[in-house]
Amino acid sequence: MTTRYLLRRLAQLPPSALLILTATWLLLHLAPGDPLVALAGQYGDEAYYAAMRERFGLDQPLPQQLATYLGNVLRGDLGTSYVRGRPALSVVLERLPATLLLASTALLVSTTVGVALGVLAARRGGGRTDVSLRVTTLTLYAMPAFWVAQLAVLVLAYRLGWFPIHGMTDARRSLSGLAAAGDVLHHLLLPAAVLAAGELALNVRLVRTGLLEASRSDYIRTARAKGAPGHRVLYHALRNALLPVVTVLGNRIGMFFTGAVLVEVVFAWPGVGRLLLTSAQSRDLPVLLAIFLIVAGAVLVVNLLVDILYTWLDPRISYAAHD
Amino acid sequence: MGMRTRTAALACVALVATGCGRDDGGSGEPTDGTTSSPAATATPTADGTSTETAEGGTLTVAISSDPGSLNPAITTSGAVHTAAETFFNGLVGLDADGAPVPELAESWEIADDGRTYTFTLRDDVTWHDGEPFTADDVVFTFEDALLELHARTKASMGSALESVEATDDHTVVFRFAEPYAPLLQQLNVTEAPILPRHVYGDGTALEEHPANAAPVGTGPFVFESYTEGSEIRATANPDYFKEGPFLDGLVMRVIPDEGTQLLALESGEVDFLWGVPGPDLARLQDDPDFVLESTPSNPGGSNCIMTIGFNLERPITADPAVRRAVGHALDRDRFVEQVLFGQGQVAQAPISSGIPWAHAADTELPAHDVEEARRLLDEAGWVEGDDGIRAKDGGPLAIDFVHFPTFAKYGELVREQLGEVGFDVELVALEPPVFGPTVFGEDDFDTNVISYCNGPDPEVGVRRMYDSALIGDVPFTNAAQYRNPEVDRLLEEASQTVDPEDRSPIYAELQRIVAAELPYLWLVETVGTRAWNARCEGFQPHTGLFAESARCADA
Repeated sequence: MTTRYLLRRLAQLPPSALLILTATWLLLHLAPGDPLVALAGQYGDEAYYAAMRERFGLDQPLPQQLATYLGNVLRGDLGTSYVRGRPALSVVLERLPATLLLASTALLVSTTVGVALGVLAARRGGGRTDVSLRVTTLTLYAMPAFWVAQLAVLVLAYRLGWFPIHGMTDARRSLSGLAAAGDVLHHLLLPAAVLAAGELALNVRLVRTGLLEASRSDYIRTARAKGAPGHRVLYHALRNALLPVVTVLGNRIGMFFTGAVLVEVVFAWPGVGRLLLTSAQSRDLPVLLAIFLIVAGAVLVVNLLVDILYTWLDPRISYAAHD
Repeated sequence: MGMRTRTAALACVALVATGCGRDDGGSGEPTDGTTSSPAATATPTADGTSTETAEGGTLTVAISSDPGSLNPAITTSGAVHTAAETFFNGLVGLDADGAPVPELAESWEIADDGRTYTFTLRDDVTWHDGEPFTADDVVFTFEDALLELHARTKASMGSALESVEATDDHTVVFRFAEPYAPLLQQLNVTEAPILPRHVYGDGTALEEHPANAAPVGTGPFVFESYTEGSEIRATANPDYFKEGPFLDGLVMRVIPDEGTQLLALESGEVDFLWGVPGPDLARLQDDPDFVLESTPSNPGGSNCIMTIGFNLERPITADPAVRRAVGHALDRDRFVEQVLFGQGQVAQAPISSGIPWAHAADTELPAHDVEEARRLLDEAGWVEGDDGIRAKDGGPLAIDFVHFPTFAKYGELVREQLGEVGFDVELVALEPPVFGPTVFGEDDFDTNVISYCNGPDPEVGVRRMYDSALIGDVPFTNAAQYRNPEVDRLLEEASQTVDPEDRSPIYAELQRIVAAELPYLWLVETVGTRAWNARCEGFQPHTGLFAESARCADA
């Protein structure tokens, strides 16, 4: 991989993001729905609607609205939230850490535990461990996420009382330092596990299949014949088996975000997912667009990282040839 | 019934991602059949002499939506009002029966012509930052906030009010061009919360004012912190001008899912809910650890009636016989049982029973009578075909029914019951931002259902349904496109008749006319059911100052 390739990919990021933003803007503005209905509620008269339309520039022709918006974006201004009257970007950024914490924990759990269990299952394909893992993961993967979430709250939090039911902190205690971190961790575990469940199941199956396939391949047979120790053989096989896991990771980063919407609603987790939902319901367009921009940016960056990771996992993949 | 209950609960689970929650009217049951704490219905001056609960403690409240802003004077949003009213006061309070009681104003005088209201303000009230409250704050709030940005007060009072004037530090005079009846109903903390000029009047646009996220008011609780999407914290106002508050503090937690809210209440993570999911109501009622009380008032709107609107500009629904047949075909008790789970009652008149002096209980509405519905349709020339659907001149008796996704259960019952008498009903679920322009901008519907909140006075929430001047693009006005010069005249007359005793017969006549013509069909009155942990007491569920005189024993 050359630096030139990397630079070119990096240079593509801003125009890609802007293109996505424009497309999303058009979709949102062409779709039916009046953002002012959420503001006026049941009430409001002609004068109220006219004043609000003017305030948000919604009385301008669409092309002009788009031009104004993109011009502002290039200057770093993503507009003001209709509902909050504050800059949309800061509204989103305030909520981002909670979602990042939730999603990265889920990602960590689903990847590490998923790979470990995959290795375990592949150790003896068709064995008892393998079969029970395959059944469990298939069930987990097939269950609707909202159902898993509700079940988890009902059983693990409410009935057994192992976890808190809602939020990111205990409402009744004000903690600091290590105790506060422990409190957040306690609140984090259940939602993160629910968010991780589906991906974890998928990873187990991918790693297992990959390893079993590799174990039948020539290079592993050769390694075994040469008398390489078990862990070295596993290392070689795993590097190949991880390719699909990494691919899935890149593709599913957006899915993690979608999943976060649901988990955040059920667990009252104060993240961007819920903000996305309420902003969509009230048509708070500046906030929606800011969220889309950030998520799109994250997906683009992660996919770049995945491409780089490929070259490490599989030396046959090289981007230099394209230069 | 058991089967239905389960279906509804599952539907709610499935809707979780789209914010399945209570409707505008909230949920609840009229006070009979529910337990209620003795202090809960008390007037604002009630003290806690009947209790042995200790003072202090922090109350944890679940709220469904993140408010985003905490300034109730610049919006009618239910989310904002639920979270923020406790920081403020109105000039005049409303007691549990909707009668005006002194709050920031200690007394008032209405001139004989009904055009001038003079309020004498308390002189012992300070803002949370220590500055004194004066008449000038009232003038500022009306001129810069309420009449500009509070959609309800702006729409109902804006054109009628000539001036608000501070004649001295503690006297405010409201002058109207014509006699104006509803003013005293429009001055509570929901309709007209008062802001301090020295904080909000510094020149920054009110919609974008930093204090919207850190409010300063006169209310029973003082703002402490707001973490978006998570919680709002407040402490007791030690200088509050009324007795109380008795709590040390208040925490409002944002919990969007009503199932999670209920579990949080039952597990003790929160103490107070603004609403209880219908399917869980019975279980909670039987539990001695919790107290339930219902009220027709909600911070987002009060005295709501779920109302079917007919498009009078469409040929099928323009026929009065068809509308009357719909009225006879529907068993409105089933809506109370199967949609509201008993939290509400069948509407007895076009105006809510929550406005007792205007509600004409003896109004005749079409009773459930399937045979009569069939007879009316036969008579109107609608002949039943082989598939059970009626037709006339080759056209089927097919109508659509447009509703919010949260009102889907109303649609199912309407389709089922109208299907029995030969209608083909197509259900169209539209989110509010789409419903508004579709129904009011494009008039693209045959029938719809809207939770018309009547408000504290018919002038606030009833007039918009019938006034022919309010046919147009503005959402949630005259959906039926109903025009009747006599009704327009009665509305005008009622708004200018100040004495409720003289206003009653005018509204009674109006209800008689619209019940005869049926531009709408009034289904059920909805209520909100508050639920709280039995270790707490003294709530006032009907107002946003709900915890002003509440107490909690140690957990």
